[in-house]
Amino acid sequence: MKMSQNTPDKEDQSSTNKKTISLPISRVRLIMKSSPDVSSINQDALFLTTKATELFVQHLAVASFNNGPGKATNSLSYTDLANTAEEMETFHFLTDILPKKILARDYLQSLEQMQDGNDDDPDF
Amino acid sequence: MDGDSSTTDASQLGISGEFVTSGQYVFQSQDDDGEENLNDHDDGGIKENFREQDIYLPIANVARIMKNAVPQTGKIAKDAKECVQECVSEFISFITSEASERCHQEKRKTINGEDILFAMSTLGFDMYVEPLKLYLQKFREAMKGEKGIAGVPGGDGLGDELTDDNFTNPLPAGIITADGQQQNVMVYTTAYQQIPTVQQIQFS
Repeated sequence: MKMSQNTPDKEDQSSTNKKTISLPISRVRLIMKSSPDVSSINQDALFLTTKATELFVQHLAVASFNNGPGKATNSLSYTDLANTAEEMETFHFLTDILPKKILARDYLQSLEQMQDGNDDDPDF
Repeated sequence: MDGDSSTTDASQLGISGEFVTSGQYVFQSQDDDGEENLNDHDDGGIKENFREQDIYLPIANVARIMKNAVPQTGKIAKDAKECVQECVSEFISFITSEASERCHQEKRKTINGEDILFAMSTLGFDMYVEPLKLYLQKFREAMKGEKGIAGVPGGDGLGDELTDDNFTNPLPAGIITADGQQQNVMVYTTAYQQIPTVQQIQFS
């Protein structure tokens, strides 16, 4: 059963997802308030944002899992996420915070290749 | 609840007499320590001067949602969890600033549900909008239903900012938004029932 932020005696009153949310609303509110020019947020907006965030996590996780090579290995890695952010327009806004990681030696190799290719270009 | 740790005894407060006025002085010693441990509970708290852009949702919650989303036996790398944690904060800020902008354009001060839904639509998350409307509806119905049975909940949190608890207890009709705006709240009672026969008697 999905755990929630509720106290135990409230569990039987609600089925999951009906009104229970598995993310701390106060924290969501804090993040929202850190945006410039945000004065107040009504309850509906807070609820919707929190719920949307849940959906977002699920969406991102599933899309990345299915998209990357991780599907074969049954695992989700950072690279899967970075690839998904680049390939799916919905997640383009994440590309800045999800730079693709590259092994140091690969980077050095590609540097070398660049330099080799520019031997005849004195302006490089 | 013993949350009111007020005292007028200057020696207890650890302050010198000159700071205490002749009137009553109430010192709230209970800090809002919800501000600590903002990122996850594993690192034993963070420095008090946190940077606003580093506010994240707890990694345990995020990881749990991810785990339930992918196939049962799937594994999730630790750096993937941390990364999604950051993405989530980015997402919230993304939606909020778009909603806030619209709000300002319409000369309103409070971001409401419509602003959020509109922002999602604009930003390419329109696939969330319909499910969210349903969730909101169910949420409201669940609150109304409980309110009829349970009545007004305990006084903690009233006049305060919304806490997590408020979403599991019925809310009193008067307090819906943080800025005091009354939202449309229907208070259903079964006290009044139209009884046709009564009216007939009146007219006869």
